[in-house]
Amino acid sequence: MLRISFWLQRLGQLLVVLLLVTFGVSLLLRLIPVDLATILLPVASEEERVILRTELGFDKGPIGYYLQWLGNFVQGDFGKIYFSGGTENVSDHLKAAMPRSLLLMVYTQILALSIAIPLGVLSAYRAGRRADKIISNSLFALSSIPNFAIALLLIIFIGVKLAWLPTLGYAPLADGVWEHFKYMIMPVISLSVGLITTYTRLLRADMIAALREDYVTMAASKGLSDRRILWRHVLRPSSVTLMTSAALSMGGLIGGAIVIESIFATYGVGFEVFAAIAGRQYVAMQSTVAVIALFYVFFNLVVDISSGFIDPRTRDRRVNA
Amino acid sequence: MPKFTKPTWFAFGWLGLMLFFVLFGWLLPFKPWSFVYENDLEVGLFSSGHILGTDSNGYDMLASVVAGTRISIFIAIASVGLGGLIGSILGIFSAYLRGKIDTVMVTIFNVGLSVPNLVLALALVSVLATNVDINQAVPTWRRVMVLVMSLTIVLIPILGRIARGATLSWAGREFVTAARSMGMKDSKIILKHIVPNVLPALIAVAFLAVGVVIIAEASLSILGVGIPDGASWGGMIARGRNDLEYAPHVLYVPLVFLALTVISTNHLGDVVRSKLDSREAKV
Repeated sequence: MLRISFWLQRLGQLLVVLLLVTFGVSLLLRLIPVDLATILLPVASEEERVILRTELGFDKGPIGYYLQWLGNFVQGDFGKIYFSGGTENVSDHLKAAMPRSLLLMVYTQILALSIAIPLGVLSAYRAGRRADKIISNSLFALSSIPNFAIALLLIIFIGVKLAWLPTLGYAPLADGVWEHFKYMIMPVISLSVGLITTYTRLLRADMIAALREDYVTMAASKGLSDRRILWRHVLRPSSVTLMTSAALSMGGLIGGAIVIESIFATYGVGFEVFAAIAGRQYVAMQSTVAVIALFYVFFNLVVDISSGFIDPRTRDRRVNA
Repeated sequence: MPKFTKPTWFAFGWLGLMLFFVLFGWLLPFKPWSFVYENDLEVGLFSSGHILGTDSNGYDMLASVVAGTRISIFIAIASVGLGGLIGSILGIFSAYLRGKIDTVMVTIFNVGLSVPNLVLALALVSVLATNVDINQAVPTWRRVMVLVMSLTIVLIPILGRIARGATLSWAGREFVTAARSMGMKDSKIILKHIVPNVLPALIAVAFLAVGVVIIAEASLSILGVGIPDGASWGGMIARGRNDLEYAPHVLYVPLVFLALTVISTNHLGDVVRSKLDSREAKV
């Protein structure tokens, strides 16, 4: 009973956030001191602009415009991109960009987690010893290097000097697995370094705390091996924060990989936002930002649901929180 | 005099040098960063007359990087200062007053947090920097102001949520209840009892936020919406990208400055936080 009302409340909160984000972007567009129809159709006649204004609802005031946009968005009409030759559908652009972003995100998470989990477990197990100090200090230094710096250094050394990998472009999986990964390796490495440092630190801190719990002493006194205690009894309850952080960063990777996507010309969703903003395609920008926020909210919900499965003790805690 | 470790001394030293560049960089005996040395194009590191070399335009890298420090650090300090001030006021009040105000504030913070930082900053920059006359270029000082405003807005929900969380944990303590039962005014309780306790946590986060803003400014410049003409670290990186095959030092110089600054601020943030944790442990 309590749980159902909790989930309904949580869902309601997320829905409110989504509506406010999209409405906020919508209002932002009205702040632009220039007529939007003039920006979208710079060389058109006044009549064409009048038609565009009524078509998009610019003449209806902020709320009317928002409601019209929302109605279209819910029905899958994300608006159009206007250029001198005609128009293109934003949804077609997103259909091309979404798989790239999703794959980039999945590979990045797999690489980051498969490096961060062993490092985190090792540094927690040897906390304060030399291995822990080396891992923690080198990760600290790495965490201060922005992802575009890593990307540019990879391009200089692996792309240009050694010429092992192509520095620009993207190949779909249909072109062959190796061909696909050739284009993905450098973007994925650049994106995952920052995540590895965050994940390792989180896991280390949580595992050190979990190692002090009574059930660990109990397990040790039963004669279980260190390895078994670490991997079976300590890792699982310690991974809640890690999983939360991982799920939240997924939402960020969908649209937030703008710089990496543009450096490597892996044109994903982040690049679509950037292209929309740079090309003053404000309707496209509004719809794409809405899609990104949708993903963020979705992954938030996933966090809420999955943390209950990873550590059942948190289920009751979250209801009270 | 507290005892600092070597990395902490280094962080202080480096940030001190950066602050010196910001405040007194114009006193150094350089020609303006945009002065073109026509006979010294793409000179490497440590050459005579140009310690950090020159780029393909003939700009001296040392003069450029000192000028870049000024803009990058100014943007970082201004937006973290403003964002921290507004964010912590909103966060502290909403956590102290609770009720409807708190619900509204938390919702607003969540709205801000549900768009990736860089996307939000990009959207704000593009809207705020739009000129009434589309074809007219935006002057540099206005670009800087637009960046500061956008990054401030991006930081408010991040810092506000931290201030709110910290306030929540202090507002429930006995001494606050005691002060209230003695008839102390809310404003006085906040100033005397809440702010001094919340401040260290905020300072720790502010250090980290400076690093985040420096990186955000560089990212925006790489995307071509930051400071044009390379008068900031990000702008220098953006220009160095065109040339990375033949003159990679043009890229290394601003990258090293940026990375060392971010490492220093992150480290100081950690130091403040660990001091804070040990204090918490004693309570």
